[in-house]
Amino acid sequence: MSRYLNMSSLKILSLAALLTVSMGSGVAMAKDTVKDKGVGHYGYGKSATAEEIAGWDIDIRPDGRGLPAGSGSVEDGEMLYEDKCASCHGSFGEGVGKYPVLAGGQDTLTEERPEKTVGSFWAHTSTLYDYIRRAMPFPQPESLSDEETYAITAYVLYLNDLVEDDFVLSQETWDEVAKLPNNPNFVPDPRPDTHAKRCMSDCKKEVKIVSEPTISAEEVAAADDTVVKAAAGNEEGAGVYNGACAACHNLGVAGAPRLGDTAAWKARIAQGEETLIKHALEGFQGDAGMMPAKGGRMDLSDEDVTAAVKFMLVESK
Amino acid sequence: MRQLKVEETDRLLTEIAKSGEQLPAVERRQFLKNGLSMLGGAAALAAGGSAVAAGTAKYAPPNVPPWTKSLGAPVIADPYGVPSPFESDVVRRNVPWLTADRIASISFTPLADLKGIITPSGLVFERYHAGRPEIDPDEHHLMIHGMVDRPIILTMDDLMKFPSTSMIRFLECPANGGMEWRGAQMTKLQFTHGMLSCCEWTGVLLSTILEEVGVKKGANWILAEGADGSHMSRSIPMEKALDDALVVYAQNGEALRREQGYPIRLINPGWEGNTCIKWLRRLEIGDSPYYQREETSKYTDLMPDGKAREFTFVQEANSVVTSPSPEKPLKGKGKYWLEGLAWSGRGKVKAVDVSFDGGISWRKARLTGMVEPRALTRFGLEWDWDGSPALIQSRCIDETGYVQPTYTQLRAVRGSSSIYHKNAIHTWRLHADGSVTNVQVS
Repeated sequence: MSRYLNMSSLKILSLAALLTVSMGSGVAMAKDTVKDKGVGHYGYGKSATAEEIAGWDIDIRPDGRGLPAGSGSVEDGEMLYEDKCASCHGSFGEGVGKYPVLAGGQDTLTEERPEKTVGSFWAHTSTLYDYIRRAMPFPQPESLSDEETYAITAYVLYLNDLVEDDFVLSQETWDEVAKLPNNPNFVPDPRPDTHAKRCMSDCKKEVKIVSEPTISAEEVAAADDTVVKAAAGNEEGAGVYNGACAACHNLGVAGAPRLGDTAAWKARIAQGEETLIKHALEGFQGDAGMMPAKGGRMDLSDEDVTAAVKFMLVESK
Repeated sequence: MRQLKVEETDRLLTEIAKSGEQLPAVERRQFLKNGLSMLGGAAALAAGGSAVAAGTAKYAPPNVPPWTKSLGAPVIADPYGVPSPFESDVVRRNVPWLTADRIASISFTPLADLKGIITPSGLVFERYHAGRPEIDPDEHHLMIHGMVDRPIILTMDDLMKFPSTSMIRFLECPANGGMEWRGAQMTKLQFTHGMLSCCEWTGVLLSTILEEVGVKKGANWILAEGADGSHMSRSIPMEKALDDALVVYAQNGEALRREQGYPIRLINPGWEGNTCIKWLRRLEIGDSPYYQREETSKYTDLMPDGKAREFTFVQEANSVVTSPSPEKPLKGKGKYWLEGLAWSGRGKVKAVDVSFDGGISWRKARLTGMVEPRALTRFGLEWDWDGSPALIQSRCIDETGYVQPTYTQLRAVRGSSSIYHKNAIHTWRLHADGSVTNVQVS
């Protein structure tokens, strides 16, 4: 049985007793740090209020603990998904470029190239709500309302044929979808699962080379240099671009014009560099998408953003 | 010639010495000569002697190099020291095709050029899920709540008042070497094994903090969460938290680097790197695992029967020869010092064996430095290369008696779709010309 399963039967009677047991782990701990000093011995920090905890306690657990009030429908989710998710994950959850595939892949887990999606692989719907809430949309985490998160979660379930198009997700309907189809197929860690012996001579009769890299070192190096080469002449702008703007402008997230997409940039460039820098600094709502002020990276200086815009214009002419 | 004030002389000397570093040797000599003449009275120090020696090493004895006959850079020319410009190739690198962008991505440690067991802070591999945040430590807080008697919020000053502990431990991404499951793919040691580093970590034992807040009965798991845009999160079993988990604020003797979670991170020694949450902001104590995205969709190990292993925390025994390697080819037959790194998430490295014939026969290597539990351990052996091709391997045995498996043994159990925890014996093919390539053998 794995260590973590043993955990559930572990009776924590005294932290101090456990700490003493744990001394065998090889950690050099001074004796005075492991005495049972009791709760609040140091008294450092401040007590956390309920309001303070609520502001940061964003996790949702498999049984629905942590779910906020409110609800969201597949119908509302469709528009939100198209607007905020589809540029990376595809309109049908098929994934764009290397961004994650969200739907499909059923019955592929035992195949040569398994496709691990919400529907084919994930275990808990809580993971979906929790992750959208904590980390999505990729360039603007924690920007969605609770209702929007419910709606997008519901829509991703719909994309995986797990709910009907009239489904509304809320605390009340949670139990219907809490467990995803692949839930029973997660198992504890059984390692060590190999039992090699330490043989020193005549360990095998012959040795054949069975595999060598197909990608040459030169190709790896060339790929490695792409970013650096592009930076020629405006290293500062390129640096800012790669560190911040690339998140959206490499792939066209949220309607962002892609770097080097001359067609997409033509009309924008016609507006003049000054206007584009202004839009980048102050934010801009366009027909195709929304540019947040400084791309949401308020830690960047105006000079950084200006340099990045100039870099992008040169690269996209 | 006008008189120069002391400060101005110092400034000019610094500029001359620094500018000179950018120039090839011959130009540097002329540059220094001109520069120092300009200062006046320093002509005697002018660099360059008689004739320049033939061959690549111009200043082999009996010739005297210019740096021996001139002034060097003054103190605080680099207020924070940086490596010699001659070491400029020793840097982290990434593999662009691995990830969609460089914000949720990884870089690799240049293992071939490192010595000993400590990875310099600036070369520790990076793994971000939403980029590297820039955090003002005065604006950073650690909240501990959930099944505790006393939920608290600590400032960084508060945290540093607790008793402090230091330990040297490796840090490894469970995807290290994951690109090799289906066959040899990467062409350099940096990319086959470089999601691996080892530092001295200093901070407060998580057990000390848990004791301070008082953990309620039935509390078995802890959610650790970062302050970055991904709010990177993992569930940690209480057993590990009470064993050797460390809330870290310093790395290799100085404040934690931004890439490593400044101002604080968690280190779970010997466990998957991603459990060592960076930019740590929150610890929630609960009764069961939280099933976060990075412990369900990712960082679970899919087996051939379609089952997936969850909470596969330990990084099992592993090793690799760092020289020779693709980055460190041999220059003709003769005596060499072969060396490499071994490590185990279960404890100390007990022994390392080396094979030159692809695993038919093995020689015991020597552990050449400090042997710490859950730390990189350096091994080496003296070896006389006769110039013929060889298949070089290393094999780690840890203190639990676990022997590092072959690819055949590993794939027999796990297939080739599990992405993570590939710790198979690695093979370098040494060619007759001394070059080294990555291969897998039967």
